Amino acid sequence: MYQFYTFIVLPLLTAGLCYFVRNIRLQYLFSLAVAALHLAVSICLFTGLYVEPLPSLFGADALGKLFLLILSNVYFWVVLVSYAYLKRPVSPRAEDGKKIYFSLLNFYLAANTAAMLSSHLGMYWVCAEATTLSVAPLVYYYRSDESLEAMWKYLFLVSVGIAFAFIGILLLTLSAQGGALEGKDLFFTTLAGGAASLNPIWLKAAFIFIFVGLSTKIGIAPMHYGDIDATSNAPSPVAALMSGSLRLTALLGVLRIYQIIVHTTCAQFASRLLIMGAMLSLFVAFIFMFKVNNYKRMIAYSSVEHLGLITLGIGTGGLAFVGAMYHALYNSIIKVVLFLMAGNIHSRYRSREIGSVRAVLTLMPLSGWIFLAGFLAISGIPPFGIFFSELRIFEGILFSDKPWLLAFVMFFLLFIFINMSRNIFSMLYTAGGSPDESDSGEKFEITHFAAAVLLLIACIISIASPAILYDTIEQIANDFGIYP
Amino acid sequence: MENAASILFCLTLFYVATTSRIKAYVTALRIQGILLAVMLVIPFLYNFSVFGIILPASILLIKVIIVPRYINKVIVKLDIKRRIEPTIQQMVFLPLVIATMTIIFIVSHIISQSTHLDVIPFASGFSAIVTGIYLIMFRKKLIVHVCGFLILENGIFLFGTAVASELPVMIELGMLLDVFVVVFLMGIALNRIRSTFENIDVTNLGRLKD
Repeated sequence: MYQFYTFIVLPLLTAGLCYFVRNIRLQYLFSLAVAALHLAVSICLFTGLYVEPLPSLFGADALGKLFLLILSNVYFWVVLVSYAYLKRPVSPRAEDGKKIYFSLLNFYLAANTAAMLSSHLGMYWVCAEATTLSVAPLVYYYRSDESLEAMWKYLFLVSVGIAFAFIGILLLTLSAQGGALEGKDLFFTTLAGGAASLNPIWLKAAFIFIFVGLSTKIGIAPMHYGDIDATSNAPSPVAALMSGSLRLTALLGVLRIYQIIVHTTCAQFASRLLIMGAMLSLFVAFIFMFKVNNYKRMIAYSSVEHLGLITLGIGTGGLAFVGAMYHALYNSIIKVVLFLMAGNIHSRYRSREIGSVRAVLTLMPLSGWIFLAGFLAISGIPPFGIFFSELRIFEGILFSDKPWLLAFVMFFLLFIFINMSRNIFSMLYTAGGSPDESDSGEKFEITHFAAAVLLLIACIISIASPAILYDTIEQIANDFGIYP
Repeated sequence: MENAASILFCLTLFYVATTSRIKAYVTALRIQGILLAVMLVIPFLYNFSVFGIILPASILLIKVIIVPRYINKVIVKLDIKRRIEPTIQQMVFLPLVIATMTIIFIVSHIISQSTHLDVIPFASGFSAIVTGIYLIMFRKKLIVHVCGFLILENGIFLFGTAVASELPVMIELGMLLDVFVVVFLMGIALNRIRSTFENIDVTNLGRLKD
């Protein structure tokens, strides 16, 4: 049970503790210790060094292990930089947001871990909703009008979305009626095992509701609005957390139901729906990249693009599915880098407008270069991992029954790349017009350290390509009936 | 008995569709909560168990007492004008709800011939879900949106009893708690919106766009 305690009970207790301890530095130290322990135990679970049975309603399969590791990694780095971030000056109104920051982060960790490890659809639902609740107040950290609006929209849209997902779960029970699974509890493994006996019509309806409902949280178009507003107005560490792990938590829910549906006659229907959502997301990212004038929103749209690619890979199946799993890992790492650097730029220029940020490379060489490297990484330039995972996804699409999709995907990605680089290069290189130009150069901070290490990790994983990672992803693919 | 409760539940939806006072929404939420609790208690009238009473009791506590009280408090505290501000005519809204409910009932009846389900609770639940969405779509005031969301949640609950899904009690309690916290957070947000903007309606929420 020690594993379960470290994963869920300890963060919950720390959340309570942080609420009562007033000293922010102490809160930080507690949270960092929990995050490090969580990461260590996640690595143990992932590599199989130390595995314990979890209590009922919870369980760790290959998919859960991979996503848990992604969460744990993102969370650790986010907590590591949070203290430096909280020390930055904010408006007096925003001061009281700092008091509950770590408490909410710990609660988020507990809820998200529980969602990743839950083996019951109902349990997953409860935990996924709890993650929304923990993140919403964090979005309102700056106490500005925009962040208030973003929080309201996120909370409302995602809550309604998740309610839809619950209708989907209920429809799934309905689909079990009259078959071998009637009256059984909603465990993924039970449902996936006896999927053939489920009523196809109800199963399709369940998939639609769950996919559309969770899209609000994943950021799949056309339900992406709340998510974009929230990630672009949240403080950077929280935005990194949302882009790097919360979207994947919601994707996990879709994957769980997809895992059930691939074993039935409705598999093609579901994969078509996933591909449609994915293509629409790429299209939306493609369109909005032309007109976006806020760099945090730009990175948020990039998240829509990449979650779209991941969904596309999942829907296509085969090698693309394997690529999608790698992509989920790399995207989460690089997104943290981008958001942290965007946060540094924001705290210096006090503006999120692309037009008012100038000469970052001269004024903030460290952040500028890391931001540039992060941008190259997210655009799929080798040796960063995204290059390899995108290649796999493309290869999978090319050899699927819809190779023509690749032409559209390439077209969208090309223009997204051009528009992003146009914006980013104008931020980095355009001279003049910047505040206090005399004060150039910047100190090496912990955010730079975290971002550099994360970039390095993304490189090392993609070059070394550890066998354990490949085995786990192969195991996930096998669970989905895919033998790459 | 369940059917009777479901039909009463549908009547509350009509009430919500016709009224133009916010107080009436809260009353409707209270009645819906009582009906849901009653429906969950019925099976335990014949074979009583303490364990089975936990869920109806917590529904009574949260959906009938705490949440409506909280909403009332928010209304009074923020001095929200007691009339809802619809974006479409009230005389259009009611027929819309009636038409939707009719379609839902007919479709549910057709479905019930191939799948085993309790038509009336099923259709009532679904109607509440759709009515909740309509309220969110066709009303300006944010507090009414919260009520719409709660009606939607009640609908899902009713829907759940109709498809005879038996989720573990722990999960049901978790759901209740989640919904409660959502409403609580929304209340806090409304409070802030009130202190930032003059009115509390959707016209204020138009800053974020590309």
